[in-house]
Amino acid sequence: MREIRYRDALREAMAEEMRRDRHVFLLGEEVGHYQGAYKVTQGLLDEFGERRVIDTPIAEAGFSGIAVGAAMAGLRPIVEFMTWNFSLVAFDQIVNNAAKMYQMSAGQFPIPVVFRGPNASARQVGAQHSHAVDPFYTNVPGLQVVYPSTPRDAKGLLKSAIRDDNPVVFLEGETLYNVKGEVPDEDADELVPFGEARVAREGSDVTVVVWGRPLATVEKVADAMAEDGVSVEIIDPRTLRPLDHETIVRSVKKTNRCVVVHEHWPYGGPGAEIVDRIQREAFDWLDAPVLRATNLDVPMPYALHLENEVIVTEERVRAAIRKVCYLD
Amino acid sequence: MAKIVGLPKLSPTMEEGTLARWAVSEGDRVEVDDLVAEIETDKATMEWRAFDPGVILKILVPEGEILAPDAPVAIFGEEGEDISALLAEVAKGDAGSNGDGAEAAGAAATSGAPGAEAPEAVPAAPREETPAPSRPSGGRVLASPLVRRLGREHDIDLSQVPGSGPGGRIIKRDIDEWLAGPRPTPGAPARGERRPPRVEKLTSMRRTIARRLTESKQTVPHFYLTIDTDAGPLMAARKQINAHLADDGEKVSVNDLILKACAVALRRVPEANASFAGDAIHYHQVVDVSVAVAVPDGLVTPVVRDADLKGVREISREVRDLATRARDKKLMPEEMTDGTFSLSNLGMYGIEDFAAVINPPEGMILAVGTVREEPVVKDGQIVPGQRMRATLSCDHRVVDGALGARWLAAFKDVLEQPVLMLV
Amino acid sequence: MTSVSDELLPLYRQMQLIRRVEEEAAKAYVQGKIGGFLHLYIGQEAIAVGTEAAIRPSDKVITTYRDHGFALARGVSAASVMAELFGKDSGCARGLGGSMHMFGRDEGFYGGHAIVGGHVAVGAGIAFRAKYLEEDDVTLCFFGEGATNIGGFHEGLSLAGLWKLPVVFVCENNLYSMGTPLVRSMPAEELTSKAPGYNMVGDRFEGHEVLTVRDRIRAAVDRAREGGGPSLVEILTYRFRGHSMSDPGKYRTTEEVEDYKKNRDPVRLARLKLADEGLDEDALKKVDDEVEAEVQAAVEHADEAEPATVEAMWEYVLAPSPGGASDA
Repeated sequence: MREIRYRDALREAMAEEMRRDRHVFLLGEEVGHYQGAYKVTQGLLDEFGERRVIDTPIAEAGFSGIAVGAAMAGLRPIVEFMTWNFSLVAFDQIVNNAAKMYQMSAGQFPIPVVFRGPNASARQVGAQHSHAVDPFYTNVPGLQVVYPSTPRDAKGLLKSAIRDDNPVVFLEGETLYNVKGEVPDEDADELVPFGEARVAREGSDVTVVVWGRPLATVEKVADAMAEDGVSVEIIDPRTLRPLDHETIVRSVKKTNRCVVVHEHWPYGGPGAEIVDRIQREAFDWLDAPVLRATNLDVPMPYALHLENEVIVTEERVRAAIRKVCYLD
Repeated sequence: MAKIVGLPKLSPTMEEGTLARWAVSEGDRVEVDDLVAEIETDKATMEWRAFDPGVILKILVPEGEILAPDAPVAIFGEEGEDISALLAEVAKGDAGSNGDGAEAAGAAATSGAPGAEAPEAVPAAPREETPAPSRPSGGRVLASPLVRRLGREHDIDLSQVPGSGPGGRIIKRDIDEWLAGPRPTPGAPARGERRPPRVEKLTSMRRTIARRLTESKQTVPHFYLTIDTDAGPLMAARKQINAHLADDGEKVSVNDLILKACAVALRRVPEANASFAGDAIHYHQVVDVSVAVAVPDGLVTPVVRDADLKGVREISREVRDLATRARDKKLMPEEMTDGTFSLSNLGMYGIEDFAAVINPPEGMILAVGTVREEPVVKDGQIVPGQRMRATLSCDHRVVDGALGARWLAAFKDVLEQPVLMLV
Repeated sequence: MTSVSDELLPLYRQMQLIRRVEEEAAKAYVQGKIGGFLHLYIGQEAIAVGTEAAIRPSDKVITTYRDHGFALARGVSAASVMAELFGKDSGCARGLGGSMHMFGRDEGFYGGHAIVGGHVAVGAGIAFRAKYLEEDDVTLCFFGEGATNIGGFHEGLSLAGLWKLPVVFVCENNLYSMGTPLVRSMPAEELTSKAPGYNMVGDRFEGHEVLTVRDRIRAAVDRAREGGGPSLVEILTYRFRGHSMSDPGKYRTTEEVEDYKKNRDPVRLARLKLADEGLDEDALKKVDDEVEAEVQAAVEHADEAEPATVEAMWEYVLAPSPGGASDA
């Protein structure tokens, strides 16, 4: 299979779906003439023109609202947030309008819109530009929240998101954009369905549930621990809402131990939700309390060494795994 | 400065101790005299109390671990200190606190970021500083949910399974070992079935018993002298005393009187109140009588000090108190050391006569049997009598046959004329 | 050539219907049949009915929480509106929306929205569809003057002006933003003074005469339909009741309210005009009776209708997915 970057996988997904359905269009800051702040949309303007690849002013609430209205009226917008941090000024549009319109109107107005962009911290961009928004949006019924960690999932999930009749919060990892991975050819038209977790690695001693960027961190730790004879099973939920808790629970029933790793703050959120599902559904299989390794509970500091400490570290992941395995 | 704290030596003869129960958890702040842990020594379960204020930064050993004195068990310090270097030291195995572990227990200091080694991100909420909580000891079996399920499925009595997890939690590993290892099968055995013995790890007390009594029998040259006594006067005296005490709801036992008789005899034959000390013999100036007390998983020998100077009633009260606290494992080590003579009584089990093993470094132990009702010849007449046999074990290095016999005669003399206890 | 009364009579009928529905709603509210917030349209009927008279059925309307009048004007039945207020399954949002969230997809009614301002951008998005698919439908987006100080309003107008979307923004200025009079809530007395900043035409007039409303709004609608871009229209009006049923309206004088009721009641003005035009009392009474029968039937229906269902509540959280191409 060919290898392409996460960034290109996303672009391919959008281009393929735009070719497939004339109702699909893209709007956001710098998506057109600038070719994308992170070059995810590079080349789309050339292929689809200004009518379908639309540069917006800095007005997230405005263009997110436009997208919701267009979706009410039957179009299928893709909204690119330059980063998800900026979605907070469009929170009303996403939470009050996109998420609720379908139910509030008793099914008269589905909102097939994809909000996408890089999530969580980049590198030394400070407190306001480093939000992991997973907990904000996973809390909302009516939204679906997706966070691919590989190029293949990025493409397959984005294609599914664009075809979905409901609003999708599509989280990407800025530091994942350059990651290369195997992705099927364009004609494969591979869709990755929502609500199906991926067993990223099979193991027998402990289950680690992780999504998005920290997956790579966990893989490194798992490699190192394999040498010490600890067999780590890695589950990537891929979509946080809907959540494939069955796969997670099945794995935990096998390994009897679980660590949940995430880059959102530790208070609540999908990380805590997953722990809750496990304690409810796999209680009698647990040999240790489920632990989490997370970003620290502070606004992101600027200084590099502090940021490196705040972002969920290999050390914290390893410590949690060792603890649930009673190795300490 | 954070500091590694070793297992405190809580009894003079403690050569190892079991960390029976942690009374604190990581992160707990302790103040002076707060309970830190309970340590099961060869003698008793001792309370380890903090000497200085500080925070328990890390607990290094689970409950149930058997350790040598001064083995690293915890890291004390101030909240937030970086203890990675100390942990590395512990991991290397060259850690050990300096001097008395108990003294180090409170060593405290400042600085650092909290929970650097904690796998969970620490919530920003301020940490409450609570006094060391007292966790329930005994009773509740700590086990992971998985272990509980496996316990149900395999019909395992989890209280029998040693737990190796935090706080003695039984974890899957323990169950796996339990299931793989020899163990009693519930239900009746099939005919002809060969069943392996149930293996139970030695408790600290059993280890001590094993070690000390083996040592005694192997190194102390025992010899035994048995004497039969008329217990009638003793029983009469007891009846009289108890009638007197009835109003106070008190009673003295036969053994209390025997103990007193021993004490008087030791005073009368002071050469027998001696211990072998390698190149010397110690002749004791005090009469401290050790009493063997059976406790659920062994026996202990609390000491009645200056028994020769105490009245029977006082001895009785003291023995009762010592026995109660022995069964509750509440005796202090010093209450179980430095006796000069031992008394063991199995009369209540109907034993007529037995020979006891000397409790070193004491020179003698008296083993007393039951009071027998039987016909005796008195002044040519056969009359009902009450007899009691006693066997004295002597350390021949200290007490020769004649001396032992002399002491035993003195004992018999006092026993048969209880009024001599007053002299 | 149609006479004035031919034109006016059906508009009168619509206004009378709204008036009577609202009066019955107020009655039902104090009887405890309607819960939550209830914002009545009494006094402002000329706007919903007059603007409706200026657009086509295929055009779209979106408004705020004061939406019963628009639902009725667009053609949602009185029975369906009343059932919605009563929380019944036969309501126009199956009892899931309530007073503030009425919808009528088939009627081109894009709903009542209760977080004001945000819906202005959504209105622009509905209009975006027409531009994107090169259709000639126009969207009317209504809001009160109280909504013009929130960011969503400005972003919506800004983008609509920038992209020349076929939308008419209509401010129903009833002089009070909830309980705060205009002078204390708006920096400039005339909202239309903002129109040039958004590159749109502004128009401001009194909206008590339904035919005036129709004629003045028609200019803006035609301009939008012909590609001339959006307009900002400010219609001065007056609500006879409080902001909601729980508002005692202490911030207005009795004299002021009575003056409006006597001299600027749109229903009364239309009735007087019809009489002036020579329509006899019997003819008017006949219309009133028809309306009364319709309203009474609506209340009766709402009383007897099945309550909203748990099934519907769950059914519409998410649309069945994945969706296909849009129907448009």
